Amino acid sequence: MMKKYLLLILFVIPSLSAMSAPLSYQLTAELVAENTWVLQGKLEDFSKRNGGNIVNTGFIVTGEGVIVIDTGPSLRYGKAMRALIESKTSQPIRMVFNTHHHPDHFLGNQAFDDIPIYSLPQTQKYIKLHGDAFAENMYRLVGDWMRSTESLPPTKALESSDITLGKHKLKLLSFTGHSGSDLVIYDETTGVLFASDMVFYQRALTTPHTPGIDIWRGEIKRLKQISYKLLVPGHGPIVSDQKPLKQMDEYLAWLDLTLQTSAEQGLSMTEVIQIPIAEKFSDIALTRREFARTVAHLYPHYEEAAF
Amino acid sequence: MKKSIAALTLSAALSNFTHASSADPLESPLWDYMRDQFIGNDKYVFDERIKVDVPEFAEDPTQVPITVNAEALSGQIERIVTWADLNPIQHIFTYFPHEQIVPRVSLRIKVQQGTAVRAAVLTKSGVWHIGGSYLDAAGGGCTTPSAAAANPYWESHLGEMKTKFFPRQSGGRYKLKIIHPMDTGLVDSIPEFYIESVIVKTSSGDNLASMQLYPPVSENPVITFDVRNPDQKHTIWMRDNGGNEFEQAL
Ligand SMILES: [Zn+2]
Repeated sequence: MMKKYLLLILFVIPSLSAMSAPLSYQLTAELVAENTWVLQGKLEDFSKRNGGNIVNTGFIVTGEGVIVIDTGPSLRYGKAMRALIESKTSQPIRMVFNTHHHPDHFLGNQAFDDIPIYSLPQTQKYIKLHGDAFAENMYRLVGDWMRSTESLPPTKALESSDITLGKHKLKLLSFTGHSGSDLVIYDETTGVLFASDMVFYQRALTTPHTPGIDIWRGEIKRLKQISYKLLVPGHGPIVSDQKPLKQMDEYLAWLDLTLQTSAEQGLSMTEVIQIPIAEKFSDIALTRREFARTVAHLYPHYEEAAF
Repeated sequence: MKKSIAALTLSAALSNFTHASSADPLESPLWDYMRDQFIGNDKYVFDERIKVDVPEFAEDPTQVPITVNAEALSGQIERIVTWADLNPIQHIFTYFPHEQIVPRVSLRIKVQQGTAVRAAVLTKSGVWHIGGSYLDAAGGGCTTPSAAAANPYWESHLGEMKTKFFPRQSGGRYKLKIIHPMDTGLVDSIPEFYIESVIVKTSSGDNLASMQLYPPVSENPVITFDVRNPDQKHTIWMRDNGGNEFEQAL
């Protein structure tokens, strides 16, 4: 008992000095295609160590201004992202997109409050409704990284399904599978597909607002029909092949089957949470934790159907 | 920061005064108080065989699944008392399992913050066997109005039950769901309103199991329990604190 507390104290003291240093995301941008930059987040869960930087964001330098895709988890991230953009180009930022209403994708909006911020109409509604609660939850999860962050909802609801700026022609595709309102951006000029959280790769997908696994799987089929050159998932590494879509489909199918079989056997939620993850997903990060969360989100529906 | 170091030193000092054999494995600050409330001065042991399964983290603090499993003491059980140390209402349920029912039950609960969840099993020899798990949670489960409070659906469906039998390798399992708001009385102007009694009867009218529920049980309770003799016919009977009675053949 005593030993444990002493260890705790030893653990606490060195971190005092670390805490006095200002928090910094050390963001870097990678040029993944012509004029196209991506800021890659860590394959982790929100923590006080990573400050919520678990997300991929990006920007396109079109020749007639910059398009920003998602603004990260905090004002601090948004500011750092904007400084990084301004270090790469002197072109002005012309528009910002929020792909969906999850906190790691829009809580950097304040750093772009002088620029039109676009989202799907439903995403704008969700952020107006739940943005403050998301921000509050993020303070709890990552702490001081969030300082001065407030929810700033998108200022403009998207009305068209394509947009051209400079040399870049973008298709704005509307989906629902991950969050109920998911914007996927396909740059026809470069062939880069910004898949948002419709696609997780090598990092377990999250389900708090999915309208259903079947809907999500159906929309993954639609994404497969796009002949992209490069896919930027919402979370995970950037690739040029179809592996992420295959992994999404297989993992969603496994989830669906596991939950359905469990419900038919009458398993209780605590029993389902303990089911081993299929071996073929062993190299995906955070499957254990996300599976437990998915059971909490979705199993009651499967149980209901099995009565 | 100073404050938390002081707190650590204080609890380290306090822990020296606690007798080793009775030290709470979950190190809950409220253990002594809870023990006093629920088992008084009775003899007790911490017993790893009493399982309380909870998720690592309460994703939805209004619907946290728990399974209490006292099979290790089958045949010797007088009752099982389950509570959450740091809930505003701690008591979750008291269960009186008959020998013909497996002393294992799953349901969902509301939690207000991270807390130890306990099951104290009183044996016929008069000793409490205590198991438990720590559940991490962001909080708010008990002071969030039930979804029913905002939606009059339940008023016309109160007490509607769905039940299903699942054959098991040995014996069988029942799962049931009943529409009920299970209001805690902790939310402004919404009075306490919950199912307080659940009884499983055999066709001959004997009580196979009887449970007293308390408001931390989640809205629209889903309860899972296992019987040893799947060929027997069973009936379930419930009553809420408003005097409404609900009964259905299983
Ligand atoms: Zn998301």
